[in-house]
Amino acid sequence: MKFLLALLHRNAAADLAAFKLTAVRMLVQPAVYLFVFGYVVGGMLPAQGGGYARIMAPGIVAISVVTGPFVTIGGGVISGYYFRTMEEWLLAPVPLRTLLAALVFNGLCYGLAGGTVVAALVWAILGLAPQNVGYMVLTATAGALLFSLFTLVVLLVPETPDKGQEVFSFLMMPMTFFGCTFYSYDMLGAPFNYLALLLPTTYIAEGLRAAYSPDSPHMEAGTVLAGLSLAAAVLIPLADWAFRRRFRDFTW
Amino acid sequence: MAAVLVDHATVVYPSGVKAVEGLSMCVRHGEIFGLLGLNGAGKTSAIKMLATLLRPTAGRVRILGLDTMERPAEIKRRIGVVPQENNLDTYLDVRQNLAFHCRYAGLAKKDYTPRVEEWLALLGLEGKATESVLRLSGGTKRKAMLAKAFLTEPELLILDEPTAGLDPDVRALLWDKVGEFRRNGGTVFLSTHYLEEAERLCDRIGILHGGRLVAEGTVADLARWAGRDASERGGVEAAFRRAVGGCS
Repeated sequence: MKFLLALLHRNAAADLAAFKLTAVRMLVQPAVYLFVFGYVVGGMLPAQGGGYARIMAPGIVAISVVTGPFVTIGGGVISGYYFRTMEEWLLAPVPLRTLLAALVFNGLCYGLAGGTVVAALVWAILGLAPQNVGYMVLTATAGALLFSLFTLVVLLVPETPDKGQEVFSFLMMPMTFFGCTFYSYDMLGAPFNYLALLLPTTYIAEGLRAAYSPDSPHMEAGTVLAGLSLAAAVLIPLADWAFRRRFRDFTW
Repeated sequence: MAAVLVDHATVVYPSGVKAVEGLSMCVRHGEIFGLLGLNGAGKTSAIKMLATLLRPTAGRVRILGLDTMERPAEIKRRIGVVPQENNLDTYLDVRQNLAFHCRYAGLAKKDYTPRVEEWLALLGLEGKATESVLRLSGGTKRKAMLAKAFLTEPELLILDEPTAGLDPDVRALLWDKVGEFRRNGGTVFLSTHYLEEAERLCDRIGILHGGRLVAEGTVADLARWAGRDASERGGVEAAFRRAVGGCS
């Protein structure tokens, strides 16, 4: 636990040192998204079950929840590769799985922190608040956890994380746009509704949508939980395998 | 009990490159052991293996009586490592780098804070303590790396080219601290390119060539192996030239 907290403190110290960049990433970017797509465009577009802003706002929270882990874990792994800080962490007297857990824990914390900041912006800009806070926390926690694991898999399966970074950029675009962040699953027609079921972002965005607006169209809770559980069942062993394979012998 | 015991260890990289082949050596407690070799001889791979960053593909390595495959975390708690390349955290300043190094090792703030300040003062880094490491010179970064290795009060220091890029006065300071560390019962395993430095400081020296240990012994042993009088200076250089077959 000491190591987990030490790494979290290190990330906070690093973010504090780059305060302006952190503020832009965590506050300004989502605020602009919410203002333009939620307040301006959302006010112009009618949507089933309420205004477009109500459909889209949980999706923006979902995007923040899934990008938080990439920024913190991805930043750590990529700078760990270029500046060799990964070697410093690997020389810490903890088992390899503790380092893995610490990175995932950091991703989880940053995903939740990002989600909380954007949820506050949604409330401030659009006046929307979650109706089911428990379901929101559960979905956001699962989302941040899944994308912490996903980030590690994508960055560590290729030989070097710079290649993984390209793969991540390539995957994130369809994950965001086909993953029901800017519209609800209900609005999708075939075959895209089948494609969306393969993307974990769909379950995260739909879970958050249900938490925000239980009366609006959204995926059933059972389907959301099944999708998140299945993704976890795939990603947990895969991330463990990728991490141990890459770092049992440190060759960067 | 040996501080470092390597038994027929081989390291083969996934690419198929054999970096270390059948390496066997023993470093006794309280000894300074120097590993010499040309670039690509396998020194860094051997050092990574001792630091538990690389697993031997074959053979066994025991550090402070512990097997590197079985108890790497416990070994890392008891060693201090200066890798060949700087691994300072570029997002942090110098003081934070030293402090977080101690925190990763599980030290409490009340224990590490005075040590960090002491090492900052010792290496003349007080004025640079709040500077980002990105703005430091190569020599200053190296000083911070050296401080990290000593901070956790290890029993064994593993130093890969520790004096590369350092000014003569900082080199002298380093060797002074290494000497003090040894007098207090510590063991040192180092690799260096400076043959004269190895001859002057090391109790025993090994020469690695093509991943194999081709000569090993005291300075006098190596001089005799090279056909020189053991009392003459330059015996290590002569042994080195013989070991690498004139490649230097």
